Amino acid sequence: MKKAILYLNQFFGQVGGEDMADHTPEIREGLVGPAMELDKQLGDDIQVTHTIICGDNFMGSRQEEAIDMIKGFLKDKEVDFFFAGPAFRAGRYGAACGHAGRAAQKMFPEAVVITSMDEENPGVEMFRKDMFIFKGGASAAAMRNDLKAMAQFAQKLAKGEEITTAKDEGYFGRGKRKQFFLNPPVPATERVIDMLLKKLNGEPFETELPVPVTDLVPVAPPVAPEKLSEATIAIVTSGGIVPVGNPDRIQSASATKWGKYDVSGMDDLKAGEYQTIHAGFDPMAANADPDVIVPLDAMRQYEKEGKIKEMYKYFYSTVGTGTTQKEAARMGAEIAAELKEAGVDGVLLVAT
Amino acid sequence: MKLELGNFFVKDIVFGAETAYKDGVLTINKEEALEVVREDEHITEADLVIVKPGDMVRIVPVKEAIEPRYRVGGGPVFPGVTGDLMQTGNGRTLALKNMSVLAVGKHWGGFQDGLIDMGGEGAKYTYFSQLMNVCLVADTDELKEQREQQKKNHALRWGGMRLAEYLGKTVAEQSPDEVETYELAPVTKRTADEEKLPKVVMVLQPQSQMEESGYNDLVYGWDSNRMLPTFMHPNEVLDGCIISGSFMPCSSKWATYDFQNYPMIKRLYQEHGKTVNFLGVIMSNLNVALEQKERAALFVASMAKNLGADAAIVAEEGYGNPDADYTLCLVALENEGIKTVGLSNECTGRDGASQPLVSMDEKADAMVSTGNVSEMIELPPMPVVIGELEALARDGMSGGWDNDAILGSSVREDGSIIMENNAMFCGDQVVGWSTKTMVEY
Amino acid sequence: MLMANLIPVATSVGVNKMVPTISIPYPLGDPSTPLDEQYKLRYHRVGVALDALTADISEPTLFKTKI
Repeated sequence: MKKAILYLNQFFGQVGGEDMADHTPEIREGLVGPAMELDKQLGDDIQVTHTIICGDNFMGSRQEEAIDMIKGFLKDKEVDFFFAGPAFRAGRYGAACGHAGRAAQKMFPEAVVITSMDEENPGVEMFRKDMFIFKGGASAAAMRNDLKAMAQFAQKLAKGEEITTAKDEGYFGRGKRKQFFLNPPVPATERVIDMLLKKLNGEPFETELPVPVTDLVPVAPPVAPEKLSEATIAIVTSGGIVPVGNPDRIQSASATKWGKYDVSGMDDLKAGEYQTIHAGFDPMAANADPDVIVPLDAMRQYEKEGKIKEMYKYFYSTVGTGTTQKEAARMGAEIAAELKEAGVDGVLLVAT
Repeated sequence: MKLELGNFFVKDIVFGAETAYKDGVLTINKEEALEVVREDEHITEADLVIVKPGDMVRIVPVKEAIEPRYRVGGGPVFPGVTGDLMQTGNGRTLALKNMSVLAVGKHWGGFQDGLIDMGGEGAKYTYFSQLMNVCLVADTDELKEQREQQKKNHALRWGGMRLAEYLGKTVAEQSPDEVETYELAPVTKRTADEEKLPKVVMVLQPQSQMEESGYNDLVYGWDSNRMLPTFMHPNEVLDGCIISGSFMPCSSKWATYDFQNYPMIKRLYQEHGKTVNFLGVIMSNLNVALEQKERAALFVASMAKNLGADAAIVAEEGYGNPDADYTLCLVALENEGIKTVGLSNECTGRDGASQPLVSMDEKADAMVSTGNVSEMIELPPMPVVIGELEALARDGMSGGWDNDAILGSSVREDGSIIMENNAMFCGDQVVGWSTKTMVEY
Repeated sequence: MLMANLIPVATSVGVNKMVPTISIPYPLGDPSTPLDEQYKLRYHRVGVALDALTADISEPTLFKTKI
């Protein structure tokens, strides 16, 4: 039998209303409030063992403390499923379910975290990539239905059944796009014609690839213009320039590794000593003169002229074809940490 | 232009004393066929193997697929490539259906090569498992590229084309089981009824990203990297004016067979005169510099606009940086008020969480998606391997690897494999066959 | 500070400071031109990138190059 824990706020945990929203997190053995219905819906395969109750304001204003306490509660528990809510359209509650769920997931990477919210709950956008958030009702009138949807999904997973798409299962997409064989098998030609005719006729149509919103990155503070001559500048590239022989065995596509190469005492990168191992473009030019990707010669000239103090002694390199954003972000963070540690003031990223 | 494709439905392929086609059975004199292949002295070893749907056979590294054909009245099947230049798309061409010629490396694979399972659970990942295939398994003396990840595969690809022409000749004097007719009048001479319908162009972006010759798709023998978008009759494409290249990760690739049978073009023909007025094909390309990408999009949009197109379909042979060409083209057409639908695959990573195309724009609001190049695929061993299984791990095939820290090698000791969809031969079937889509989990 | 040819890709992933390069396979030197011209172009564009590090910007910015 699989074990589950349910997270509730002070209201659904039957502690009290808004006046009890500062309620300190607590864990109770057994079933409180909606936990009873959930346990019933889960049937014989999954048992709800505990209920966690936390005031919405406590989670809102003393989040770190609340999370630490919840982690403490969970430490010695068995958790196959972690449920939270349903939170309906309650914004604070939705966010609290998300924070609690995320903490539980971190502690129990194999556990399944399931909650439910109305689509206008801000918690949906905050946490949809981190857990299964089912499309729930706007108010507590939907309690039974929402619990049922959460429970049915959990049962399906407990039985080892394969899940279909977010849309079919009824949860908000987690931003993971995978290929799917259509059944019945509708070839792309039919789908194109259907979409084209609808678009021509001004009828509603659904793209198979919705364009996601761009992630904005905060602008890094500039190097003060008068300080550029005192700055150490590093070069990082996704163009796959490495010493011939590729000592770090960086992959030519879908890279998960990066390397750093000491260029102290060199005035440029020589053909035959450095090469590109990037499989996504014609390597001829970069192999003939690796400076077209890592411009060491130009950087040395700017050192001589005093425009910059120096080029950092290592350049960093990986391959940017087929590389997942997640791996790229991890490698970027690792390289950035080293450069910060080394006191590098600025970075030129050369992409291919 | 009027093209008649005379189809012969091949029911069986066997080896025998005389290369001939009779009552649906294609008989091949192996030695004679191999002599045709060996006309190129760079072929050092060659063999032919026949495989059929359902056979428990794994074929790797596959470099090319070609439909055997014969041009009635003379002339090469691929003008400018296997013979002199002439216009394609007019007249009659005979085709051996239900089959293809596959060019397979006896040992060496590369970035652009793919894998086909003819049976078992892996069969669904490629179109070519549904066909009977004559595998030309060969080695060459192209030593310069033998250990290179990027291969032109010239001797094998051209050997495959010669073999396809040789087999096509068997039906030269016979009458086909079926004749498909493809006819479109010049765009200014359409009938009044056709004129009333919305005008549609099909924009093709074949792979052309290598600056060195020998890797790119060829249009009438011309390197598609060295051309600007141009207007063509769809029949030219269906009748051998373009051959596949040797560069893109394989699931994104369009084989020569794909061009000869281009399903999206054939589907537009079906709609022509009913729901749309199919103007023709704008043959664009894919580039390696932003300015080139922008210039190509500009030419496509101008041509579509001046042809009076109301709608367009854009298909991209590739992923990664060519997504920029794709998106630029979709946006340029939309900016002209031309209602556009995109047709391509995605790269969302093994975890599915990466941005689907490297460049996206909200104006590209209608796209059909045919697969994820980086989807992980694990398949059990196959009793028979044609080619060399180790190529998947050893030779830098785009969906294979030799030493992943967690997953180990793509090829395991028992012959089972783990790979990305990237290495499935023409697996994403962007030309239109794909019954895959992309969904969010 | 990103030096890249595919500016639409860079803007699509939210890069803030960008200097264009001339192509994907050879961002900083066209092999069909003489070596000294390749170097001139590389020197110029790296210089623009170094200056861009000092620019105080509030939104994604593409820095102009002359060569």
